Amino acid sequence: MTVSSPAVPASRPRPARNGRGGRRRRPLVTVVIYLGAVVFALWVLLPVWYLLVSSLITPAQLGVRPFPMVPSSITLDNYVSLLTGSTGGDAFGSTDVGARLVPAIGQSFLVSTVLVVLNLLLAGIAGYALSRYPFRGSRTFELTIIASRVVPAIAIVGPFFVAFRVLELLDTPWALIISYNVFTLPLAIMVLKNYFDQLPHEIEEAASIDGAGRLRALAVVVLPIAKPGIVAAGVLIFLEAWSEFFYSLVLTNQLTVPPLLVGFQSVQQFNWNSLAAATVLAMIPPVLLVLAFQRHVVSALAAGYDK
Amino acid sequence: MSTTTVRASRRADTPAVRVGPLARAARRFGVRMVAPSALLLVVLLAIPSLLTVAYSVHKVPSNGASLGEFVGFDNFAVVLSSPVFWSSMRTTLIFSAGFVVLSTVIGLATAVLLNQEFVGRSFARALLIVPWAMPWLVLGILWRWYADGSVGGLNSLLLTLGVIDDYQEFLADPTSALLLTIVAAVWRQASFAGILFLSGLQTLPAELNEAAELDGAGIWGRFLHITLAWLRPVLITVTVLNVIYAFLQFDVIFAMTQGGPGDATQVLSILIYRQLFVVTNIGLGSALAVVLGALALVGGLVTVKLLYSSESR
Repeated sequence: MTVSSPAVPASRPRPARNGRGGRRRRPLVTVVIYLGAVVFALWVLLPVWYLLVSSLITPAQLGVRPFPMVPSSITLDNYVSLLTGSTGGDAFGSTDVGARLVPAIGQSFLVSTVLVVLNLLLAGIAGYALSRYPFRGSRTFELTIIASRVVPAIAIVGPFFVAFRVLELLDTPWALIISYNVFTLPLAIMVLKNYFDQLPHEIEEAASIDGAGRLRALAVVVLPIAKPGIVAAGVLIFLEAWSEFFYSLVLTNQLTVPPLLVGFQSVQQFNWNSLAAATVLAMIPPVLLVLAFQRHVVSALAAGYDK
Repeated sequence: MSTTTVRASRRADTPAVRVGPLARAARRFGVRMVAPSALLLVVLLAIPSLLTVAYSVHKVPSNGASLGEFVGFDNFAVVLSSPVFWSSMRTTLIFSAGFVVLSTVIGLATAVLLNQEFVGRSFARALLIVPWAMPWLVLGILWRWYADGSVGGLNSLLLTLGVIDDYQEFLADPTSALLLTIVAAVWRQASFAGILFLSGLQTLPAELNEAAELDGAGIWGRFLHITLAWLRPVLITVTVLNVIYAFLQFDVIFAMTQGGPGDATQVLSILIYRQLFVVTNIGLGSALAVVLGALALVGGLVTVKLLYSSESR
């Protein structure tokens, strides 16, 4: 599609202001911008701040009205009791449900990491081929995997459940490693395909002249240049796998972090302070990962959803 | 930004450039490289989807071991004549409309703001990413407690501002519960939309705005005719994704209200979950799932159509 943007009159003299940076703004505009920035920061930060503070105060402090947004004292007790498994949240009998968090974090890491490796391999060669060696039906394949986004997870989890029960894979990481491909693989293929599209063709052409095979050209010549795109795709896959809730809820007994957090909510003795600490621990890996690779991830995201 | 045309034209002339056996070998290589992924997706995505469609026209026994008796469109007839379905449909549409409009508008406003120069902009841009990096379920839990009636931060905030006289049980009231699930989901999706809009804005040449300013265009005129026109492709993508995400939303509502109070936030995905895993009526649940998938597909397509036709006007 083309954008109907007004043409820039070439003959017109350039404005006297030099560049974007040196532009002077009216004071009113400046005030509006800073006001907007404050509103935006509060919109994002208030809920996150509330969560952080909740995880760092005692149940007694939590009961104070209004909520102590700037608490007089903080404690790490909620985190310590979660990590040592003594939250006092006894669901059935005497098991402390808080003790399940650390193993669940381990399982979440396992599932997400295995998926990242598997999907980068599969989607790497598929995305590369779709970009460089299109065949009859390759465009249809792309459109199909884009359209697959409308398939509700809830519509396909039933057959998975039946199959995994037969294969005795229910409540194992494999149930999730297999089923998560449904959404991570299409995303990875599109992100990598679009990334390879942006790389100049000359690099492999030079390699094929040297007599290198196609796969060798991919491994030796293209991969080193494509590193930013591959890292970004890896981060996106990790994020999707780490965040997934529904399949894990149905196919496992709170094996990974998200369904376990929901489980915590239904245990009466498990207070909001402990849950807040668990929630903070659950969001640290994805948030850190995204902030660390911010630039790569944002450009891959922009490219990955550009059809 | 005619990326589609560029790609299409390159694809069209590829076979012409590579001729003969070499071209055939290249295409075969392409097929071989895509085959593992394609095969995996057929097994994991296509077959289960078809099975669910098959379930929807059978009276499936509750253990799901066999298809059971073929009943044609009976399940769909039950669905379409059920008041529970229509009430859930109404909730889904209200949730979706609020979600799509607010996510898109707030995302756009944020992107325009963060495209201006101000002190602290890179910090603000990092903030923009934080809600998007959070798992849907995690922010559902966060907002469930933020809105809590006894220890919630929202009550505290509104009380301090003098909006309310006393703490309210927001999630126990049908209207405010639905409103808050929308706000919570928008909190994340607006950040996703903002990220895409912002990277679209960063490719907008400054000369366009400067020229329009010389022509005497005001802020509003420049926003409409330059910024929005430039962002149209991104706007279409974002809106379509928002529509699909809206119809398929499950995690946030499950964490915040589980469909309650009563059935005030029982969108279709929650209703299907109850049919499949609480009542274990697989046939009926599958029929509902087919309806939901069709709704998301049609919603996406209609959005594309509407936005494209508004462009040609």
